[in-house]
Amino acid sequence: MNAAGIIFSNLNQDTISELTTDRTLAAIPFGCRYRFVDFCLSNLINVNISNICIVANYNYRSLIDHIGSGKDWDMARRTGGIQMIAPFQTSHTSDSKLNCTHLEALCNMKDYILEFKEDYVIIMDADQVVNIDLSAVVDSHEATGADITMVTTKIREDFSSRNRRIMAKTENGKITRILTSKTYTDRAPEMCINTFVMRTPYLVNLLNSAEDKNLTSLTDHLLNTYEHANYFTYCYDGYVASITDFQEYYQASMELTSSDEAKESLLWRKDAPIYTKVHNSAPTMYSADAVVRDSMIADDCVIEGTVINSILSRNVRVAKGAVVKNSVLYWGTTVGKGASLNCVVTDKDVYITDGVSLSGNKNLPIYIEKKRKV
Amino acid sequence: MYFKKECIAMLLAGGQGSRLYDLTQQTAKPAVSYGGKYKIIDFPLSNCINSGIDTVGVLTQYQPLALNEYIGNGEPWDLDRMRGGLSVLPPYQGNKSSDWYKGTANAIYQNIRFIKQYNPDYVLILSGDHIYRMDYAKMLDQHKKTGAACTVATITVPIEEASRFGICNTREDGSIYEFEEKPKKPKNNQASMGIYIFSTKILIDYLESDEKDETSSNDFGKNIIPNLLNNGEKLFSFPFEGYWKDVGTIASLWESNMDLLGDHPPLNLSDRNFRIYSRNSARPPQFVGTNAKIANSRISEGCRIYGNVENSVLSGGVIVEEGAIVKDSVIMEDVIVRRDAKVYTSIIDSDSIIGESCVVGKDGADKNNITIVAKGTNMSRSTM
Repeated sequence: MNAAGIIFSNLNQDTISELTTDRTLAAIPFGCRYRFVDFCLSNLINVNISNICIVANYNYRSLIDHIGSGKDWDMARRTGGIQMIAPFQTSHTSDSKLNCTHLEALCNMKDYILEFKEDYVIIMDADQVVNIDLSAVVDSHEATGADITMVTTKIREDFSSRNRRIMAKTENGKITRILTSKTYTDRAPEMCINTFVMRTPYLVNLLNSAEDKNLTSLTDHLLNTYEHANYFTYCYDGYVASITDFQEYYQASMELTSSDEAKESLLWRKDAPIYTKVHNSAPTMYSADAVVRDSMIADDCVIEGTVINSILSRNVRVAKGAVVKNSVLYWGTTVGKGASLNCVVTDKDVYITDGVSLSGNKNLPIYIEKKRKV
Repeated sequence: MYFKKECIAMLLAGGQGSRLYDLTQQTAKPAVSYGGKYKIIDFPLSNCINSGIDTVGVLTQYQPLALNEYIGNGEPWDLDRMRGGLSVLPPYQGNKSSDWYKGTANAIYQNIRFIKQYNPDYVLILSGDHIYRMDYAKMLDQHKKTGAACTVATITVPIEEASRFGICNTREDGSIYEFEEKPKKPKNNQASMGIYIFSTKILIDYLESDEKDETSSNDFGKNIIPNLLNNGEKLFSFPFEGYWKDVGTIASLWESNMDLLGDHPPLNLSDRNFRIYSRNSARPPQFVGTNAKIANSRISEGCRIYGNVENSVLSGGVIVEEGAIVKDSVIMEDVIVRRDAKVYTSIIDSDSIIGESCVVGKDGADKNNITIVAKGTNMSRSTM
């Protein structure tokens, strides 16, 4: 498709501090074998977009390790491929330009954007987990003649989040109101999932005026200009996991175990697979005593105990007599004999000693940090 | 311009595998699925890269489509290299003659020019039908130390099975004084694994003279190795210890899959220092549903299990619906086992559908009575 993609790896990461102490938000593991960024990348790749930038600002080592040459996304290309955009200092810029907001980062990479040969640019944040056909979004953008098309989802009336979201009200797709809110409001019933489409020259103009007026926030810009501008939404009706804090992350993970809609929409689409780094791990071994129900499990696990309503990453061991319920275990987690976990998220290489019992609550899951022995 | 390599590998992957019957109707034996996410050829290719051998010629002949597509440019095994890497070597037409590969030795003979490009000191000959993890570098070290013309890797087999193999009779220092191909009365149980390291000049000399001999069947085991011995060349055996299985028959392919089960399987696929690489197909994680029961089984990415799976190995994308039973079986990619269907002691090839309430195979059958369902079979109760 005639579009370039720009993925923001960590603009909202302060709100998920638990999972982002060692990694950028885009590198947060999700759905056993994926990281957030895999969904953005796969959405772009599945519509043949081959010029992709990932904007990072700090803590991006694990992201760089994950992406590598881009080979696992078929993006190790002579032309295009995946470009990591990290902040840098030059003799004439101050150290304050750390790609902290959308517009700041985009202004920093303006020279590069000027080289884009693609007519459209798709801008996305990594904290929105969705498997969406972006060509339909671009088609809609073209059909409406919008300046900016913002991808949204209809939200339920009981929606509430600890973080403010961009909400919109539309008439025939055209935005008549934009505001930010933490809860549902009938004044703006569509929630932005932080994916925007615009023509490349429009983006360049926007960046020029942002530099002139010293604008840094894309949200502020949208809020200030929508009344006189031609902004449209593309309201996506499929499953979206919009994750802005740890609780939302845990809930979205649990939905993968309980909701067929989540699995069908995110992971089981044959026409739109999600790609990720390949680890060449062996198939998972279920021993004679294993009891497993309603769980999603990656390769190279050894399960001798009980696993219910849980998400297990690669290379997790659940020893005999251990019981894992409503939990998310990252790769390398070991659950010792007779141990029991309920509503727990374990980071990489956590070791739960034999017989230890930990129980959180669905509204307050326990987080255990990387390499911790309990 | 090519760069000199110390040792290159020639992998014989043209075998028809006629004793695998339906499994090799449309597929060369090395491209047959194994162990949930592998093809047989993943083992020799991974062994090569794990042993520091980065130049591999893969000789193909029989039904090469699936095999060629699978190995591609060698990228999954890190064999897409600027210097060397993986080359597929099919039979070809020359201006004097054109020939199918007549035998293992003839296949290598027809590719002497490929070998010479890299001017290697040693050539490793491999076959594409064994499951094993082996560090060829250790074998090469021994070959260099002994100064042998040829080193033959050997494995201890049960004496009652020895007559199925090429048997190496050795002196105390490991040098071979006699090689018997499938002897009726084997003198010992050291079987050739079909893995040879030759010093290049000797290999080329013997291949050329073997080619001139019209009575020869152009086979390493039957002709080249005995000729070397008759001429008094120095041959050594390299005793290999570890898991090795020729998966050339339905029974042995099934058995070798079953060897991956149990608490302490003899073949370790999870060794991070010696990975077995395979081509990945971007499948989602496996999902286990509410009423599923899985015991002593290996399940791969993309599987969805809602029924019962016991003592079985399931490849990627297999769906076992509610009420279905899969027992003592090997299920290959993207097979669907419908509601209340039963699969016992079978090998189900890829893309097949076992329809609702169908019964395949016999519960408790032994390895000589494995039921095979060919690729893409769509079975319903009315077709049984």
